[in-house]
Amino acid sequence: MNIKEIKEMINLMNENNLSELEVEKDDMRIRLKKTANGIEGFDGQVVLQGQTTGIGAKVQASGAAVEKNEIKTVEIKSPMVGTFYRAPNPEAAAYVEVGSTIEPGQVICIIEAMKLMNEIKSEIKGKILEILVDNAEPVEFGQPLFLIEPL
Amino acid sequence: MRSLKMFSKILIANRGEIALRIIRACHEMGIRTVAVYSQADRSSLHVRFADEAICIGQSSSSSSYLNIPAIISAAEITDVEAIHPGYGFLAENAHFAEICESCKITFIGPTPENMRLMGDKMAARTSMQKAGLPIVPGSRAVIKSKEEALKTAKSIGYPVIIKAAAGGGGKGMRICHNDLTLISSLLTAQTEAEANFGNSSVYIEKYIERPRHIEVQIIADRLGHVIQLGERDCSIQRRHQKLLEESPSPVVDSKMRRRLGEMVLKGIKSVNYLSAGTIEFLLDEKTGNFYFMEMNTRIQVEHPVTEMVTGIDLIKEQIRVASGEKLKFSQEDIQIRGAAIECRINAEDPDNNFMPSPGKIENLILPGGPNVRVDTHIYAGYEVPPYYDSLVAKLIVRGNNRNEAIKTMRRALSEFYISPIKTTIPFHLKLMDNPLFKKGDISTHFVQDLLVNEGKVE
Repeated sequence: MNIKEIKEMINLMNENNLSELEVEKDDMRIRLKKTANGIEGFDGQVVLQGQTTGIGAKVQASGAAVEKNEIKTVEIKSPMVGTFYRAPNPEAAAYVEVGSTIEPGQVICIIEAMKLMNEIKSEIKGKILEILVDNAEPVEFGQPLFLIEPL
Repeated sequence: MRSLKMFSKILIANRGEIALRIIRACHEMGIRTVAVYSQADRSSLHVRFADEAICIGQSSSSSSYLNIPAIISAAEITDVEAIHPGYGFLAENAHFAEICESCKITFIGPTPENMRLMGDKMAARTSMQKAGLPIVPGSRAVIKSKEEALKTAKSIGYPVIIKAAAGGGGKGMRICHNDLTLISSLLTAQTEAEANFGNSSVYIEKYIERPRHIEVQIIADRLGHVIQLGERDCSIQRRHQKLLEESPSPVVDSKMRRRLGEMVLKGIKSVNYLSAGTIEFLLDEKTGNFYFMEMNTRIQVEHPVTEMVTGIDLIKEQIRVASGEKLKFSQEDIQIRGAAIECRINAEDPDNNFMPSPGKIENLILPGGPNVRVDTHIYAGYEVPPYYDSLVAKLIVRGNNRNEAIKTMRRALSEFYISPIKTTIPFHLKLMDNPLFKKGDISTHFVQDLLVNEGKVE
């Protein structure tokens, strides 16, 4: 979406006397709300798939608004104390990457404790937005490991 | 032969005031500290004071402070050389001590063999008896049947007490005055023992009425040196839980003290003991006889009482002997100077049957001044959690003699302010004014009698 499209949306609202308009396109959702004084405007950040982009979307004159796009996120926390590994062994590929889709029951990492490799499985279906711990870093109970967008 | 290098980093497998105590000793010795904590203890002082802290589990003890894999993992990822278990939790768990050994982490305490021997109350009795210590007359082995119970009781004479072979802390104990109560109590004692210790084995002993609980502190190094640090009188108990401890005992004279010391050294040397420990006796004041009861293979809650009268830092000594150092003092160096008293301050309401009183501490004023020591983990704003024991502070004072110590304790208790949770401070204040207590005329029935007189208990 670009400013031209947003301006078109504002015109659409004015022509049809709409007070509220919400449009979803690709992975972006915008809601415009008209107040008594015109259209409310405020800066918003839009979180796109796998990235965070800041869009200062305040359009001066017409006071267009881009509402902060809130994607619900969930943290997967460590169920134990140990060392976090992204792959089953140093030569193997990582179980998951940023952007990977995970299913319930899927192994997403290893936590090693007392020389035992414990496979950590996801309990939810979702997309990995961020991996919060580096490979071979120690983790404690309850420490967030992954940021997930539930699907 | 072990390397004599002092540890550079220790993990404390405990919480509350004892965790702080150990962290303090380590910091004075230049040893880095790792705290482990449950989610409920996130804001705890021991977490704040340690150099590193690892969350090991949810609030329940079994998920956290009793969670061996979590604790060992924490020790591994922080690369510690030793673990101090404090008291309670895993302090007397031989299995845990063995796991530490197999992971090349020094367990600061006795050996697994020491724990297994003394943890089995009957085996401990037999072993100490062999070393010449008098034991309370009782059954030679676990009671297998009603008939055996009746026969044993007849031979030792009523009253008798039924006790759990695998237990302690007053659980699974029943006092019986005749055959009828013996039979009915046998079953309930076995059931309680099973529930508390996973083992229904019980044995029978002669019950000494109005005994005093006298215990002796010892410490031993890896080179076979054993030192005893005098006795503590812990007769002030409620439901077999100690409330107040003092050293020296007001009824132990120098002759008795010498006798006790010799017995203890003989007993400990016979079992190759390592680190700190305490031997408990019952004193029958009528006859002046001491009877070996049991041994605690750990540092105890009331260790500061001995520290205050001997000047020895027991936690530092534990760390030193664990690292292989020789004890630097000899038996002749140990003297009990003056008198010390400790009051255990619990988050309990003494006016309401000692009902636990967890919750947020909004206001706190700690006592101070000469000869006053407070071992505590509480602070204004601290939330006392409901998941663990109710001990919130230990108030220890010393004086040139018992009367001076009582005066100082009275003053310190009156300065001590914790609110709005209820604590046992008012109860201890009453004790300080009690004429029998001031005379030193106490037995393990003292508190019960006191509460009955006040109409607080049947």
